[in-house]
Amino acid sequence: MTKMNCDHVIDYLNGTFTEEEMREFQLHLNSCEDCRELVEAVGELPYLAEAAEPPAGMKARILANVFDESHQQEPVKEETIKAQEPSIEAAQPAAKPAPKVVPMVKPPKERIWWRPMIAAVLLVSLLGNAYALMQLSDDDGDGGAQTEAAFQSIDLQASESFGGTAKAALVREGDSLEVVVQGEGLQALSGSEVYQIWLLKDGQPIPAGAFEADAGGQGAAFYQLEQNTEEWDTIAITLEPEAGNELPEGEIVLSAGL
Amino acid sequence: MENSSDFMLYRLIQDKDKDALEQLYDRYEKILFSFLLKMTEDRALAEEAMQEVFIKIWRGTGEYDESKGKFTSWLFTMSRNSAIDLIRKRKKPTVPLDEINDMADGDSSVEQKAEWQEQKDQIQTAVERLSAEQQKMIQLFYFKGHTHEAIAEICDLPLGTVKSRIRLALGKLKKSLHGVQEGGAIDD
Repeated sequence: MTKMNCDHVIDYLNGTFTEEEMREFQLHLNSCEDCRELVEAVGELPYLAEAAEPPAGMKARILANVFDESHQQEPVKEETIKAQEPSIEAAQPAAKPAPKVVPMVKPPKERIWWRPMIAAVLLVSLLGNAYALMQLSDDDGDGGAQTEAAFQSIDLQASESFGGTAKAALVREGDSLEVVVQGEGLQALSGSEVYQIWLLKDGQPIPAGAFEADAGGQGAAFYQLEQNTEEWDTIAITLEPEAGNELPEGEIVLSAGL
Repeated sequence: MENSSDFMLYRLIQDKDKDALEQLYDRYEKILFSFLLKMTEDRALAEEAMQEVFIKIWRGTGEYDESKGKFTSWLFTMSRNSAIDLIRKRKKPTVPLDEINDMADGDSSVEQKAEWQEQKDQIQTAVERLSAEQQKMIQLFYFKGHTHEAIAEICDLPLGTVKSRIRLALGKLKKSLHGVQEGGAIDD
């Protein structure tokens, strides 16, 4: 991993670091007055906000949810969350508004052809277009029992020193989670390097597919997690020295909150 | 010392002291909600972000200690990140251009005086000393939480230029704020 320096301060402010990177940048901050002052100055910006009256009952709702959550989810300190553990959904705050995803319906029978279609449609449309999917399901969705799937499309944020971009699409359907990622403007890989995708929950990653960049700097991956019980909070792509790592060794080049 | 008592509260919270969390909540409820509302422009979303912040504090995610600088800087950074996550999930269309200059809209004759008026006056003076371009960068990057790519698109600039302009704007802000705190002189 590259040494942390002043070039990483915006990544630090954006919270795109792993805990390990955070610690490394912290070391840099301790020794760099310039960056420290910049972080402190940025830390004054929120005071520009106009005073707003919080909603009635917000305090009671929030504190109830915070304490309720901790009650159901112990121990909290270790954060050893495994991908396949029983759902922690019950521990989600009760008053939390519905997930901000685009709901859609689809006939269960179409499963076999429909799934590759997701990848195909998403790749063709550069993943940006949930609308296309909704159209697709509308066309074929007449009659019969319908199950609900949820679609989420995300722009990944490049780290400051990385030039490429990537989009991801997550399709949740029952217990299964499908992840499609497409990158553009990616730097060429050398040796056995790959772009490795990770899903993270509280800083704990699981690998979620890998891809290589072609000569035009493009690459894509499709990954399916059959039993997805985790509420992932982050998707990240690292430049790994080799394929198949269970934990990231390379630097995060692209990431986004989920 | 406000800072050390924040830290003391935080230590108690790490020991699962509910009263300490409530005290910390009371202390920052208004500024955090106001800040999150400025970012999200949506009261329900601001509340959701706020809840995530306190859940993270209670769980001990991304621990704070005094080597990380001011507690408020840490708290605001974490809050901003929670808001950004929610903003990006919401998938609202990009902000129209005319929204981007409302960062330092301080008509203090009409505006209700904030509890944080002193800090606000300082940072506002500092921001007003930046060029319109730099203010716009801070607004888009910091408050709107746009990715570099989105800013490049909104401003019709190459990606690399956006990155260097954000850095430049923040660097200028630092100097300018320093100047204000030192007594008003602009140091370059």
